[in-house]
Amino acid sequence: MQLVWDNLPFLLKGAGYTLLITIISMFFGLIIGVIVAIARMQGNRPIRWVARFYVSIIRGTPVLVQLVIVYYGLTDYGITLDAIPAACIALSINIGAYLSETFRGAILSIPKGQTEAAYATGMTSAQTMWRIVLPQAARTAIPPMGNTFIGMLKETSLVSVITVTDLLRSADLLIAQYYVYMPFYIGIAIMYWIMSTIFSTILERIERRLAKAY
Amino acid sequence: MIQTRGLSKTFGTHTVLHEIDLNIQAGEIVVLLGPSGSGKSTLLRCLNGLEDLSAGSIEVNSIEVTSTMKLKERQQRMLQIRRQTGMVFQQFNLYPHKTALGNVTESLRMVKKLERTHARHVGERMLSRVGLLEKKDQYPSRLSGGQQQRVGIARALAMEPEIILFDEPTSALDPELVGEVLDVMKSLAQEGMTMIVVTHEMKFARQVANKVIFMDEGRIIEQSDPESFFERPATERAQRFLSKVMDY
Repeated sequence: MQLVWDNLPFLLKGAGYTLLITIISMFFGLIIGVIVAIARMQGNRPIRWVARFYVSIIRGTPVLVQLVIVYYGLTDYGITLDAIPAACIALSINIGAYLSETFRGAILSIPKGQTEAAYATGMTSAQTMWRIVLPQAARTAIPPMGNTFIGMLKETSLVSVITVTDLLRSADLLIAQYYVYMPFYIGIAIMYWIMSTIFSTILERIERRLAKAY
Repeated sequence: MIQTRGLSKTFGTHTVLHEIDLNIQAGEIVVLLGPSGSGKSTLLRCLNGLEDLSAGSIEVNSIEVTSTMKLKERQQRMLQIRRQTGMVFQQFNLYPHKTALGNVTESLRMVKKLERTHARHVGERMLSRVGLLEKKDQYPSRLSGGQQQRVGIARALAMEPEIILFDEPTSALDPELVGEVLDVMKSLAQEGMTMIVVTHEMKFARQVANKVIFMDEGRIIEQSDPESFFERPATERAQRFLSKVMDY
């Protein structure tokens, strides 16, 4: 265990990348998710079809494959991305598909009367969506979104295969140096666990605060 | 002020409204009566564009919508109509994530583009008009049904509509809460607001309305002043309806 302590700064740097990639992907995934959810419900036929196809393809293929396509695959067409941007792009696209389903469900759960009340006071459909429907849908969407978020934190360990020195790869590098496995793996397992726990606590707080509002 | 010509509405193969011709003047208080499924609520919702019309035309305050217009044009005009009409719903449909005041000011900010303090000011005035100023910071879940419906009325009033449409405003209320909502509606009537009310409150219809429209199976069967409608209904269907509702 002493080895883990001695190399903690290095591991923490890996944890930092893990966190960074999670947060960036979650942020852009959220934006993609909202847009795709709305596109699937209010877009015209071709838009709806594209949105459905996107969700279907992302949910039907492994994240690992999506990562290598963005990082390695695109080089065939002269698009060379650094590892971290590639990871963020692939994971944002991935998480956007899952979140769009979460949002779609949450939006559909808002009673039709809410939309009608807003229309009746003269709001446009965009205003109704942003001011009346989405704020209420967000509350419904937060628990499943939290799960996706924590899932993402752990799934980022896959980015080590495209050479991002995240938490898992930091451990692998140390293992290659010291020739012992267990202390490092246990060490990073604990670090993943701590990060997940902190996130769930924060999410619980947010949930509770939103519940109090009405 | 409101005119419909040959207004029809079908859902799939089911025709809910058959060529309705309606003419309502400014300041009139019209009560729509009829058995359930007679198309009263659908007619009201068509007037506000919450249901698209299948045939015919609607004219509200010289804004005309006909079924032959392009969808975009129709939606655009419906939005204009909605900005001049208010609507009060059976289930209140208050925004649960906003306070009583927030419910009233939302469209003042979004649609009328009033700045914050001005909107607050108008909102408070509307809430005091329905006697709920002291509840302005409460969320709807903390209000009784009657109070929620009064906030609903304040929300509609705030937009300074030319007409308010009431879709069974007291049907979802406990009996002891009906009075407070009807009182607010009566005071609006006295102030000269044009109102179209779908209701089962016969006493209200009789006392407050200047015109009763009786509908059945998607058609207007009878139109008259409340006095003659309740005392001397002309059609057999209206007689039957009245004998059923008046027994209780």
